[in-house]
Amino acid sequence: MTETTSKRRLTIARAMSEAIAQEMERDPDVLVMGEDVAKLGGVFSTTTGLLDRFGPDRVRDTPISETAFIGAAVGLAAAGMRPVVELMFVDFFGVCMDPIYNLAAKQNYFSGGQIQCPMVLMTSVGGGYGDGGQHSQCLYASFAHLPGMKVVIPSNAHDAKGLMTAAIADPNPVIFMFHKSLQGVGWLGTVLGAITDVPEARYEVPIGKASVVHEGTDVTVVGLGLTVHHALDAAKQVAGRGVSIEVIDLRTVAPLDRETIRASVRKTGRLIVVDDDYLSFGVTGEVIASVCEDRSITLRAAPARIAHPDIPIPFTPVMEHFVLPSSAKVVAAIEDMMEAGHD
Amino acid sequence: MTDVAIALDWWEDGSEGAISAWLVDDGDRVEAGVIVAEVMNEKVSFELFAPTSGIISIFVPAETPVVPGQVVARIAP
Repeated sequence: MTETTSKRRLTIARAMSEAIAQEMERDPDVLVMGEDVAKLGGVFSTTTGLLDRFGPDRVRDTPISETAFIGAAVGLAAAGMRPVVELMFVDFFGVCMDPIYNLAAKQNYFSGGQIQCPMVLMTSVGGGYGDGGQHSQCLYASFAHLPGMKVVIPSNAHDAKGLMTAAIADPNPVIFMFHKSLQGVGWLGTVLGAITDVPEARYEVPIGKASVVHEGTDVTVVGLGLTVHHALDAAKQVAGRGVSIEVIDLRTVAPLDRETIRASVRKTGRLIVVDDDYLSFGVTGEVIASVCEDRSITLRAAPARIAHPDIPIPFTPVMEHFVLPSSAKVVAAIEDMMEAGHD
Repeated sequence: MTDVAIALDWWEDGSEGAISAWLVDDGDRVEAGVIVAEVMNEKVSFELFAPTSGIISIFVPAETPVVPGQVVARIAP
């Protein structure tokens, strides 16, 4: 059967800039600001074409001061604008965290709903390309832990556009995290699974809803961003040995979709969580606790987690890749868990 | 048959770029104006557009070096 409809595959970078452009077209209050977002179109190509289309009033290059421009974005949002502000590397959050977690995340609550914060803070996360301990962090849990903000991370272009559209429409502050390895910007390496068909029309992917991206019956493997692709690769590898994996793509870290995770583990009885953020006090622990505290779930094996160890991310590629999660580590964890059941 | 080539003015002659990703598969039907590939040279990304509509045949796989002017695919009506 000949392919009659033409494909429209985009990279995550393209999907993000398309979503922002569509929302800027619809709503004159949407504006974009950040380092190198205007003339360059973003160092990770998140804002390609926006300056040419919407002009320098709505697409602004800021000075290198996150303290200043993140604070400014929070103020703009309080005044009724809808800023999409880019924090170039999530690692830089230290100098601008007060406006994020104490103002943006709390002003709606403190003002009894009178001062909202419809801000999208988009930020790059992740390593694996030798950028060192201060340019490779993930920090999903650091943001997800603090009440008052939503945290999302797409694993593919389709979800990236839908989540960005939903984030801009959301009256709450949304931290939109994009993984550098998945952007589709060549010099960071290419993960083909992240490049997917993306509808041209406007659509939203609901924030707060995880997705079962591969159905299975033996083990539930939960991932986010890049680790979803590790899990999918592992699912293919173990399928040949008769093991059936269910892969869940969190898509949203906060609010966490506990129901989807629990429903899956209720079915499989086994859980592995894969996270490229630091191990302790993070996403893996939260997912496992959310499953264990559910009395209707009977586990067939102790849950397992794969994450970056609690050390600064190494700079030299050999060491960095030694500590990062990978599909091989997921396969080993699956086999170990399946073996443990056969005593 | 229409050639799909790396534009001559994308980067200085002499250096090599590479197709970082094909956004369509060999044999796909493409519409004119759609992005068919991302091309990289020295950390700068370029987009390769389909000049016409039709069925695309890909000659150069991703990650192989390309130079300005090189024909990397053809589109048949």
